[in-house]
Amino acid sequence: MTFKAFIIGLLGTFGIPWLLLVVIPYSTMRSLEPVEYGQNSELAGAFVPKRDGRIKEGSKIFGQEGCALCHTQVIRPTYAGNDVHRGEWAGLRKSSSVDEDTRRETIVQDYQQEDVAHIGQTRVGPDLSNFGRRVEHYLRVNKSTRTPEQWTLMHLYNPKGVPRYEVPETDEQIVTAWKSACPPKSGLFDKVEVHGAGHGTLPVDIEEGMGIKPTDRARALASYLVSLKKDTLGNPLPEALNYNPKAPQPEE
Amino acid sequence: MDHTRDNPLKRFTAFWIAILLVTSFGIALIITQPFAPDKTDKAYEMMGEGRLEIKEEIDRVQDDALNEAALAEALQAQIKSFGQNKESKGSMPVPGAAPAPAPAEKPAE
Amino acid sequence: MSETNSTADSRDVVLRSSIDRSLRHPVMFFFTSGAVWLALAIVLGLVASAKKHSPEFLTCFSWLDAGKVDAAHMSAMIYGWGLQAAFGIIIWLMARLSRKECTAAGVILWAGHAWNAAVFYGVVRIMMGEGSGVTYMEFPSEVWPVLLLCYSVITIWSLIQFQVRDAGHVYVSQWYLLAGLLWFPWIAVTAWVFVFLMDGHPLMVTGVAAWFKGTLFSLFFLPVALASSYYLAPKVTGRPVYSYNIALFGFWSLAVFGPWAGMQKLVGAPVPQFLPYAGAASMILILIPAIAVGYNIIRTVIGNSEVVAESPSLRFTAAGIVLFIVFGVLSVLLHTVPAMKLTQFSYTGYGFDILGLYGVFSLCSFGAIYFIVPRITRREWLSRRFIKWHFYCSLYGVSSIVLCAVIGGLTQGQGIEDLSQPFGTMAERASQVGWGVTLAWAFLLIANLFFCLHLLLMWARLGRRSSHPTLLKAHHPESPHGPEGEVDNYSSASA
Repeated sequence: MTFKAFIIGLLGTFGIPWLLLVVIPYSTMRSLEPVEYGQNSELAGAFVPKRDGRIKEGSKIFGQEGCALCHTQVIRPTYAGNDVHRGEWAGLRKSSSVDEDTRRETIVQDYQQEDVAHIGQTRVGPDLSNFGRRVEHYLRVNKSTRTPEQWTLMHLYNPKGVPRYEVPETDEQIVTAWKSACPPKSGLFDKVEVHGAGHGTLPVDIEEGMGIKPTDRARALASYLVSLKKDTLGNPLPEALNYNPKAPQPEE
Repeated sequence: MDHTRDNPLKRFTAFWIAILLVTSFGIALIITQPFAPDKTDKAYEMMGEGRLEIKEEIDRVQDDALNEAALAEALQAQIKSFGQNKESKGSMPVPGAAPAPAPAEKPAE
Repeated sequence: MSETNSTADSRDVVLRSSIDRSLRHPVMFFFTSGAVWLALAIVLGLVASAKKHSPEFLTCFSWLDAGKVDAAHMSAMIYGWGLQAAFGIIIWLMARLSRKECTAAGVILWAGHAWNAAVFYGVVRIMMGEGSGVTYMEFPSEVWPVLLLCYSVITIWSLIQFQVRDAGHVYVSQWYLLAGLLWFPWIAVTAWVFVFLMDGHPLMVTGVAAWFKGTLFSLFFLPVALASSYYLAPKVTGRPVYSYNIALFGFWSLAVFGPWAGMQKLVGAPVPQFLPYAGAASMILILIPAIAVGYNIIRTVIGNSEVVAESPSLRFTAAGIVLFIVFGVLSVLLHTVPAMKLTQFSYTGYGFDILGLYGVFSLCSFGAIYFIVPRITRREWLSRRFIKWHFYCSLYGVSSIVLCAVIGGLTQGQGIEDLSQPFGTMAERASQVGWGVTLAWAFLLIANLFFCLHLLLMWARLGRRSSHPTLLKAHHPESPHGPEGEVDNYSSASA
């Protein structure tokens, strides 16, 4: 084996996967055409997940804080896993409080406008593809006065729940009820002195005259989490609807 | 042993061969760039198209509604009135004068 | 005849010791700073693992948040320890096998310092929550070009040495070294450009980062570990490599299958379907080089069980090679389509990564370090007991991590797949596994405190002045390094 043959062998054996696995798919995926809503849809134009400003910043913070270590954001098709049927991960199920089943698999548009898709490493905690949808639904069912952002900030501050923190009681379908093993993200909150109403602080009991105020990073992260609605309501594209387990398939 | 393989010239050539090999796929990336399709994630532009259509519609309606003759006439009248302006007492409160009256009602929260 | 032989031998000894002397400072620097990084990485791993089952642990320090500390742990392990140990092995082995003194030790040393500074900066930024946020490439974007530049400055001399080597045989180790030397910049440049410089689809950014992580093992850590094994096994036993053809086959099978690894993390994600399955297939096919190399090296050392038991370098290397075969077999089991459902998002992947990084690469590197350090410091290892403790605690720790994480991960994955179980069941199972992993990291910490201390003492030139190598048995009839027991003496290391 001469040096030249060796190098050519290396260039070849590496070059082929390099081209087929990395360069070509990367270029192809980068030039995906936007998908228009169908003829029958009330909506016009192309579908775009709105991830501007704070939500986009929150996506970056999600990665930086390492949330993707324990939380995935992908609903795999049934040949690769049972995610669609696990709890409310893939969307809301039809029930007394939900008119229509909104579950579906993840599609390629779901990650648009993010810098990186947070597929995730392990599932120590629940999948977050539809975190925003679940929280909104849970607050509505429990007739809570909190906004989803407030609930999320409370959850980030203390996932196990603090006094005065609404614990879901009735609806078993809501997965947030189980004892969370998420470590508190105390680094995202400042302890500040409060006077009077304590504007912008969380409704938690700590020592007199002090309050817990979310930092900008916490607010951005909460905005991003609340924006996670990767179900058929969040993306009413015909091709997204086709991945709904209950949705009728278009006839040939 | 063959010692002629090692000399400064040989080392110099080897250095450049090594640089070339180490960076080969970096160079390949640069070469392949012109062949790669452009980024066509134009979703924002497509959203923008809808907004632009609305804007054009509004512009057209406003253009149609614009009565240029009347506008010119009104402007002329204004220009003429400038010359007839007279000095008058200002409406700004002077320091030390009575404070401005409070608004009648609080604006809605 | 015997006279010319002995003059050639003595010339050879002089050449070898001058090569060792020329590389003394950079190689010792890489090994000792690598060992310190390894100890740090293990401490971080301990904290990261503890947080998975005891979320309240150390929450007072926000820079030790679970996700960040895990990223810092893996980054310190890979770039602080792994790459630096590899640098030491590469520059020493390439110089020895090419029979060329190193003429750039000063430059290499400076680049090594810069490398350490860049890794330190990157780890601190990760802990401050200012990393890149890309899983598997967590260092901020500006760290990568610095690392690449340092890498080139450190290793380019080895490529030159290979080119100007005296005409003659090219050893199997040199194929692996040369290939690994080139593969790393190829994958790292590609990954850096696609992940950080270009504006691609977020899914492909994730995919390329996963590919980088997969190929970093199969195309860099593995070749370096195998280069060291292909050097040490024949050298210490004094026998040639069992089969040249199997070695050739093992090398090219790795070169063909290795570059496809990594994207199996994206099974089920909306990317072109063949990407994750190509990754899974390549991980299954890794068994072929594993068996080829494992068979070849085991056949080389077999029959010399005494030497394997006595020589610290060979004992670590043999353990690393056996674990490489285990790695190959597990890889087949864990990357089949039904198994991927359970392993894709469970602890299994972590256990598997640690098996590769610690079980295969690090054990082989320890073997190389136990061989190289006495030669460049001209002192022998101080304590047989330290080496033994290092070996047993390492083996026990890494086996426990792999057993807990792989088996526990499978039950955890099964818990998610089984829809009759609530999600809490899975979380409960994961938490039990976590305890086992934490305990195993504690064993690895003990192992590496022995190793780190021992290496630092050697660095301080406090090693034994002796012409007899430190072997793991008190009374040995004959040194494995040759009848005279001289450190530098060896019969031809033909490979």
